[in-house]
Amino acid sequence: MEDIITLDKVNKTYPGAVPLHVLHDINLRIGRGELVSIMGASGSGKSTLLNILGILDSYDSGSYVLDGLPIRDLSENRAADLRNRLIGFVFQSFNLIGYKSAMENVALPLYYQGIGRKRRNALAMEQLERLGLADRSHHLPGELSGGQKQRVAIARALVTNPSIILADEPTGALDSHTSREVMEIFRELNAEGMTVIIVTHDPGVGAATNRIIHIADGRIVDADGSPAATENPDTDV
Amino acid sequence: MFDLFREIGQTIRCNRLRTFLTGISVAWGVFMLILLLGAARGTVNSFEDSSNSMASNKMQIWGDYTTMPYNGYKQGRMIELRSADIGRLEHENSRVSSAMAYARVDTAKVFGLTEYADCGYIAVYPQSQQSERVELSHGRFINNRDIDEHRRVIVLSERTAGTLFGTDSAAIGETVRCMGLGWRVVGVYSHRWRSSAYVPYTTHKALTGSDDRVSSLEVRVEGVDTEGAAMEVEEDVRATLARSHGFHPDDQGAVWVWNSLRQNIASAQIGNYLVIVVWVIGLLTLLTGIVGVSNIMFVSVRERTHEIGIRRAIGARPRSILTQVLSESVAITALFGYMGVFFGMLILQIVDGLGVLEDYGFVNATVDISLAVQVTVALVVAGMLAGLFPALKAIKVKPVEALRDE
Repeated sequence: MEDIITLDKVNKTYPGAVPLHVLHDINLRIGRGELVSIMGASGSGKSTLLNILGILDSYDSGSYVLDGLPIRDLSENRAADLRNRLIGFVFQSFNLIGYKSAMENVALPLYYQGIGRKRRNALAMEQLERLGLADRSHHLPGELSGGQKQRVAIARALVTNPSIILADEPTGALDSHTSREVMEIFRELNAEGMTVIIVTHDPGVGAATNRIIHIADGRIVDADGSPAATENPDTDV
Repeated sequence: MFDLFREIGQTIRCNRLRTFLTGISVAWGVFMLILLLGAARGTVNSFEDSSNSMASNKMQIWGDYTTMPYNGYKQGRMIELRSADIGRLEHENSRVSSAMAYARVDTAKVFGLTEYADCGYIAVYPQSQQSERVELSHGRFINNRDIDEHRRVIVLSERTAGTLFGTDSAAIGETVRCMGLGWRVVGVYSHRWRSSAYVPYTTHKALTGSDDRVSSLEVRVEGVDTEGAAMEVEEDVRATLARSHGFHPDDQGAVWVWNSLRQNIASAQIGNYLVIVVWVIGLLTLLTGIVGVSNIMFVSVRERTHEIGIRRAIGARPRSILTQVLSESVAITALFGYMGVFFGMLILQIVDGLGVLEDYGFVNATVDISLAVQVTVALVVAGMLAGLFPALKAIKVKPVEALRDE
């Protein structure tokens, strides 16, 4: 299977009076079309890993290749363009813009690609329809239920046709029933070929993915907490 | 571009009250600026109005008494201007375009058949039509043949013509009596307050005596637009007369010169200073508005840190964030600025329409389209200024902010 994400000995330290070494030599491979979860307790470094995977933050040493593109020393503009094209973000708190309708929220990434309003809205409607929200397209986020909001957010992540979907605790703000629904959506997207990476601390969510990557104290570990000798993408955990 | 306007519209609608309250201060600043500019314009207009009715490029000269002994003569000698001075002044001074003499007889009465007018007359050369700004409503003014042939022709004011002949147009071709002689009416002029009749200067001289003494000379000047140049021309004129009448060139008392040119240039400069001062005051008033807009833009950026983070995470370049904040600031400033312009103009039009202030030295106290352009430039610059620092703060927001819970 072709790798879509390759991390090689990635290190990250937050500077300060006492420098905080949050990621130690992270080696990670994720294949195209995988559905994986990254699990760890809070403070384990999983948020930092997510930031680096999402090109939201830089790393100190090592290498990161996303969909064949080396992610290293990018300018703010280049990073913004790559995030826009390659990554679809789904956040715990949905992160929809409150004064924009569902359709406008979904169309927003296309606005930053310079696509005209008509075409933008047409593409946004397509995604909303795919997620069963066509009739809610003109509602503001405040008028939608949590599950609906998260589906709008997923539509926004999909609208640019990205290489990966990066979800940060996507069910953290949802009840268990809605959580299962959202996870079902991710499974369906994955079945259609989309690479989905879910960062979570919820074992139920992890169990719904095809592979779980455990992280503890800035290192990738086995499920029982012992250090993983090598990270092998073909090994199901 | 249209998308940007939609974005701005949406964000402004989110904070209507706050935007409105801050906008009021901008609107007030611009409103005051427009009112002050209108008032300044009115004052300048009234300067120009009063100087226009007396021609702005002329100097008038009267003979007086010498104050310095010169060339064997004692001081205190009377200098009498003569019509020969007209030609000399024209020839010896390149900046003098024409010189002429005129005389006033304010006590003369003009008789029609049944009525008379106690208007007096002014004996003039044809050039006086320009220098006195005589606007004819019927017929013609005194011409060169009238001067050469000493014709007894007369130009009446509308008021006099109306008194004598009922209507001002009926007077043309009629004969009036003045100084015991018959005069043909060749023209009728209109003026707000002047009512003297005009007759040819040479005819007047022929009637009142044959020597060539004149009571005063009038000199018209071309191409002078600074106070210094106006002074130079005055000195040149004095020097010419000093040579022909034998008084000391530095004798300031021998002839009395009323240099209206210099006064007009000076008052035009005062007008310019006035407008500059008004702009400074107006822009300083606007500054408080700018500070207000800057302040709410800071608050807005702070409130929307999370939203900016989301936008950055899903692919907004720093530049588009910068553009958004700046244009929002310009939009607020311009929107309320134009409200100020609108109400300012409205007040000026109403006041001008009522005409109540003309007696207090305000003539046509309104502002024109070039001012609208200047104000637009000022507003856009003000808006950019107000938005600059908030925008620079906004682009420092990292995309990681998107992941932080509110």
